[in-house]
Amino acid sequence: MAQAAFRFPCGGNSHTYKDLSAFVKTCEGMEAMHSETLARAKTKLGSPRGRWWRGQGRTSVDSRAKTLRPVSSGRILAVLGMPAVFLVLGLALRYLAYASVDPQATLARFPDALCLWDCRWYVGLAENGYDPFPSPGMVNAGNWAFFPLFPVLVGLLRLAIPAPTILVATGASLVLAYGAVLAAWPLLRDLRAYLLYAAFVLCGPFSIYFSTFYTEVLFVLLATAGFVALQQRNYLLAALCGALLSATRIVGVFFVLAILAQAFLDHRARGGRVLDFVPAVLRRADLVLAIFLAPLGLFLYMAFLHWHIGDALAFSHVQRAWAREVGNPLLYLWRGLTRFPAEGFVPTVSQQLALAAVTGLALTAILFWRRRVPAALFSLVCILVPLAAGLASMVRFMVAQPPLVLQLVELLGRSRIAIVLALAGFLVADYYFTIAWLGGYLTLV
Amino acid sequence: MSENAASKPSPRSVALYALAGALALFELATLWAALNPTAPEAYRAYFIDKTTTCLNLPKPGTYALGSTVSFRSDGAALARDLRVCGWEGPAGDGTHSVGETSRLRFAVPPGVGDLRLTLELAAVLTEGQADQLVEVSANGVAVGRAEMNDRDAHVFELVIPAAALASDPGFVNIALDFPRAIRMAPGDNDTRKRAVKLLSARLAPA
Repeated sequence: MAQAAFRFPCGGNSHTYKDLSAFVKTCEGMEAMHSETLARAKTKLGSPRGRWWRGQGRTSVDSRAKTLRPVSSGRILAVLGMPAVFLVLGLALRYLAYASVDPQATLARFPDALCLWDCRWYVGLAENGYDPFPSPGMVNAGNWAFFPLFPVLVGLLRLAIPAPTILVATGASLVLAYGAVLAAWPLLRDLRAYLLYAAFVLCGPFSIYFSTFYTEVLFVLLATAGFVALQQRNYLLAALCGALLSATRIVGVFFVLAILAQAFLDHRARGGRVLDFVPAVLRRADLVLAIFLAPLGLFLYMAFLHWHIGDALAFSHVQRAWAREVGNPLLYLWRGLTRFPAEGFVPTVSQQLALAAVTGLALTAILFWRRRVPAALFSLVCILVPLAAGLASMVRFMVAQPPLVLQLVELLGRSRIAIVLALAGFLVADYYFTIAWLGGYLTLV
Repeated sequence: MSENAASKPSPRSVALYALAGALALFELATLWAALNPTAPEAYRAYFIDKTTTCLNLPKPGTYALGSTVSFRSDGAALARDLRVCGWEGPAGDGTHSVGETSRLRFAVPPGVGDLRLTLELAAVLTEGQADQLVEVSANGVAVGRAEMNDRDAHVFELVIPAAALASDPGFVNIALDFPRAIRMAPGDNDTRKRAVKLLSARLAPA
């Protein structure tokens, strides 16, 4: 798979460049460079293959050039400013929700109050590291199911910031959440959809996951960055994101499938035959390295677990302590959907979790339908793998899948009415879902 | 560009291939390690081989010989050191067994003779399961059975011969096996099966 050549007018002459960065470098040195052409090319560098996220395969340079626009300062301000506003708004809403249920609410206790369920495990992990076997508490479940990257990051930050762990982790989460929204801009490139995405992540119904000590926020940031790298056909950067993803949550290891899918689509777009795909990959050193780099985080964690407790698969085996058994995901889904309430019409927790999975699968189907195969493939596996261990935490897993949420906001962003309703819904839901979270509502766990 | 130059890989490509090879070797070695765990036997049995639903942990078994320990909420502090695995609670009406085996561990003075184990148990029954059977062993030696066909609390007394203590001097490791343990909901994991509630336990010289 050879590098594509780009042909652009530069200084009144037409040249062929191996890549756009070479073009820009050359053009910048030429006094006769037309400023608009340079601006267009720089914009293009952010998305050298056109709007991949919009489901297009390879397009001609000419047709892609039509979409090039210089980025206005107003747009930059909007892209940077909107998430900042929602970040503050989300914090305020969640604090008000917390204050409404705790008469002794204080700002100092706020981060700790939101730290429930797995968050407690992560705090312990950041402070004390991984359990030996037997675990110090002499309980079945060691903390091996919790992947290391975010706790390690917080553990390192603790060394530099003398503050309680949960405060450091909350600060880190908020910064990462802001970064995750910014990172999504190249995938959306539509202010209305971007507005909704920023609101969803930073002050939406599930913003709690992205503002306390859960790995979801880092997962979203890395997955988004990985897809942006894929959009730019930077396989090594995408693989690096994959490596970090696979050290963040187990499903991150499947980002390698997205890389392979994108490579396959590129191969086909160049006229390559299906049978020639493997030889074509083997001829590309960067792709070969990407394939082995992407799952590295998981393998490093496995090697650590083998050294630490003698079981490289402890992160999976320990699920037995939570009575989770690997089974047929569709069967789990069916059981969840058919666990009707004893009385009334409010769906049971199992039904709510199953509906979250169904929604995720529906959005995945839309991704496939719109030929966003790498994102669809990654999302599908990220739904089916946890579903094979039951419905637990399915809501959290769905909302932390950037391709699904980006697809959703893109659909909603087409209608002004939907945008207004969704925004209002997000803000109201942030408040009430925070109260539900603090009350231990199981669907949100 | 000559044909030789075109086919010759660049130094960058060589470096990338070499790095990919090193990663592949590391990942293969890690996979090999994953297939050959070195974890302790108790860990393997519970987590890997799944031959037991009870993770045999080295609890201290702190216990005053002859005392009765409540496994209701009021005795949680004393019971904690005796509960090895296969228990959940205590709830108001006792500590529930979970899984197909539950274990207790009692530290006893050296040289103690025959012992009498007293267990107060109540069966967990459903429409499809009208009775419960508990097979009791001490340090691996079968010492008796308890059978219940109602939900009332029953007291069972079993004698543990001194010879049974030889395999682990200073400790009595009680295993309660529940061959008729039941799944309370379809699809429940075997570690979630229910059989009995333990209300109290006592170990005293026979």
